[in-house]
Amino acid sequence: MTSRTDAPEGFLSIRSLTKRYGDFVAVDNLDLEVPKGELVAFLGPSGCGKTTSLRMIAGLVPATSGRIVVGGGDLTEVATHRRDMGLVFQSYALFPHMSVARNVAFGLEMRKVDKGEIAKRVKEAIALVHLTGKEEHRPAQLSGGQQQRVALARALVIRPSILLLDEPLSNLDAKLRDEMRNEIRDIQKRLGITAIFVTHDQVEALTMCDKVVVMNQGRLEQLGTPVELYETPKTAFVASFVGRSNRLTAVARNGAAEFAGQRIAAPAGLEGPVQVMIRPHRLGLSPASPAAADPARQQVTGTVARAIFAGDILQYDVDVGGQIVSVELATRGGESVIEPGRPVTLSWRPQDIFIYGAAA
Amino acid sequence: MDERPISPALKILACAMFIFLLAPLIVVVPISFSGDSYMMFPPSSWSTKWYPAIFADGKMVSAFWTSLLLAFVVTVLSLLIGLPAAYALVRLKPRGAEFLSSLFTAPLLLPTIVLGLAILIVFSGYGLLATFQGLVAAHLVVTLPYAIRVLSTALATLPIPVEEAAATLGASPLTVFRRVTLPMMRSGIVGTTALCFLVSFDEVVLSLFMTGPRISTLPVAMYHRVEQQADPLVAALSVLLVVLTLVVVLVVDRTSGLAKTFVK
Amino acid sequence: MSAVAPAAAMPAPLPAAERSSGLPLVVLLLLPIALVNAFGFLAPVFNLLRMSFYESQATGAMVEVYTFATWASVLRDSFYAELILNSILVSLGITLMTLVCSYPIALYLHRSSGTWRTILLVLVISPLLTSAVVRTYGWVAILSENGLVNNALGAIGIAPLKLMFNKTGVVIGLTEILMPYMILALLAGFGRLDPRVEEAASTLGAPPWKVFRHIVVPLTMPGIALGSLLCFVLAVSSFITPKLLGGGRVFLLATEIYDQAIVTLNWPLAATLSILVLVIFGGALVLYTRALRAIM
Repeated sequence: MTSRTDAPEGFLSIRSLTKRYGDFVAVDNLDLEVPKGELVAFLGPSGCGKTTSLRMIAGLVPATSGRIVVGGGDLTEVATHRRDMGLVFQSYALFPHMSVARNVAFGLEMRKVDKGEIAKRVKEAIALVHLTGKEEHRPAQLSGGQQQRVALARALVIRPSILLLDEPLSNLDAKLRDEMRNEIRDIQKRLGITAIFVTHDQVEALTMCDKVVVMNQGRLEQLGTPVELYETPKTAFVASFVGRSNRLTAVARNGAAEFAGQRIAAPAGLEGPVQVMIRPHRLGLSPASPAAADPARQQVTGTVARAIFAGDILQYDVDVGGQIVSVELATRGGESVIEPGRPVTLSWRPQDIFIYGAAA
Repeated sequence: MDERPISPALKILACAMFIFLLAPLIVVVPISFSGDSYMMFPPSSWSTKWYPAIFADGKMVSAFWTSLLLAFVVTVLSLLIGLPAAYALVRLKPRGAEFLSSLFTAPLLLPTIVLGLAILIVFSGYGLLATFQGLVAAHLVVTLPYAIRVLSTALATLPIPVEEAAATLGASPLTVFRRVTLPMMRSGIVGTTALCFLVSFDEVVLSLFMTGPRISTLPVAMYHRVEQQADPLVAALSVLLVVLTLVVVLVVDRTSGLAKTFVK
Repeated sequence: MSAVAPAAAMPAPLPAAERSSGLPLVVLLLLPIALVNAFGFLAPVFNLLRMSFYESQATGAMVEVYTFATWASVLRDSFYAELILNSILVSLGITLMTLVCSYPIALYLHRSSGTWRTILLVLVISPLLTSAVVRTYGWVAILSENGLVNNALGAIGIAPLKLMFNKTGVVIGLTEILMPYMILALLAGFGRLDPRVEEAASTLGAPPWKVFRHIVVPLTMPGIALGSLLCFVLAVSSFITPKLLGGGRVFLLATEIYDQAIVTLNWPLAATLSILVLVIFGGALVLYTRALRAIM
């Protein structure tokens, strides 16, 4: 977890932010520093508190306690319309009774920008999202992707201090989603705008964002770069939510996890039941032959329960002491499929296995 | 549900009942062009004299203007009072909002004859009988429940993120209401306007209790006319009123869909 | 970001949707309607209750003395007993007629679709938006001595019928006036009527009228109950049509209330009769809830 003392003070600074609805804690003591110009994802399953956090930053939900500071100014008690943030809604929330141009101009009109300037900036913003020519259309006349672009232009044109994106891609089809992902990232980088991106899709979070905040049950599980999250997940939740993992149970004793009679090294201090996580494609598989053991790799033995040839990959389910471990091997051509029932050895680099206390 | 074919027997029966339902409205049209001086059907001769006769009848003309002004004032007040109330009940959700909603729509449950008598007794104490203000107050009692109902429904179905979007773009709560909420409620407001106007313009029972020799509304004047002498003048007037209603209905239908406004 | 810092210094209210201390605004917004409601509804209704216990005198003057005299006279007088019974019976008759006349239209509407259905719906609703005076006048034109029916009968040599200034006229007129309410109530209750259930019955060998009797009618019972309650209640309290088509010769509760209030100026009596109307309403509502429980 990030602690306030060792993190550098960010442009957006969230301190002990908490939201309670009666007994239910939606967001629990969230601390976060976001440097200027970074795109940070709030990633988690639905109900994890990511959207509530975003809405508190926007001022749409009052915080129960904690502070929200932007550029040194405390915004916690400031009303939404004075916060100067651009929010792109999941449902786009365009004004149905206004044209595209009027939608985009709205925020500037609220800021009493002069007419000529409004026209110029609206034109630029619409060009930025490739909607030139659609200025006079009503939202209902646009496709989902186009509405999404209008929502983005409308939020950007006011040059907000922070851009907030609430699951902006979830209503688009897969192809459009890939396209918009790159486009949003490009625009954000080009404008150097500080942005928060709420999503439940780990691919979006990993591919688009500088940093990712993984949230679960209102709490921050881990903050890190996409690589850090993937390669060194700090909790079992992060390991299973970011990327795919085999999730096995074992018993830790004296610095080793015992696993159907086989022992593998475990972090010191762990005792009793533990969870062992390892990604399917980080496992090696070979016909059982103890002689070929690579001293740099850890290994266990098991029996092939099922073998599936899926083109790009060869997928095995291996029974290791009653627990099924899934293995994925990239096909290179020429390999033979090991039949079910055959004994095999699974091996991995020590840094690819994660062991957590079972409580996590 | 067009899956089940409609049997000819049902078609004939429904058609007959439709004729019965619309008969009194249809029959006034030929009578309004009667050349007789009293009402009979079919008329023995034809003329258009009853239409100009309406405008020569001072009582009817002044009652018409009273009704028109009354319906206008009542409609405006219904919107001015109903809109803030609906907003408070739906959006600010004070404690007991549901109870207040039912209390404010309760006058519709009371038969107008009872409500009319009750209002008559109280208003007489304040000298409000046979006054324009008294009529406005009495009509508001029955138009406001309609206004509250239609406006609350319209408000409750608005997407809230659109209002939130306006707030994030820098619009103050009042600006959000004026620039976003209100325009999006357009069909609900048009429906409320039409409904309140027609209810007030057609209201007769309450008005009967509240009018007198000094002031009368058109439906009351027509009622007294029919009571005394059912001549073709009332038919001509009825045709004009049906046309007026039709115009209002068409306007509403164009803007928001009649079926949506009156049937859920 | 200089734009942010000054804004931060400004105190601002929380968003309205989440305001917890927003009582003053709520009160302000609800005050006008509360005043209309209190002054035009609550006060008059409570006053009416009180009025029924006032003493009225032959001169028409009221004395603010609480007495059961009015209630006693109403409950003892056989004229009022007959009036009440008459009102209930006539209203029941009208309700039944309205149901019979409305059912085919409602069923037809339920089974039609598209623009045609919309047009028919508008035709059903339009009479609702037309003054009862206009529609009653139309019935005068049809039912009077020189009206459509009697002239048609005369043309084929049948003696004129007495269709107005009696109960017949009142029942015919009110039936038509109340039909739109019944049709809308029936339609609202027809939701359970799934064409597939009817088809299932047909494939099992039920002839059309048996499908109607055993499938359609039971399934539409909630709509029938609701429509009947609505029409009965409206019939008991309707006043314009009985007055004009009854011509002062049909005595019903509603017309009597008006006469007592406006002509005789016996407000305590009018108030007492009004409360009797409300009691009948209550009775109808109780029956309705019981019926609904039996159906569902």
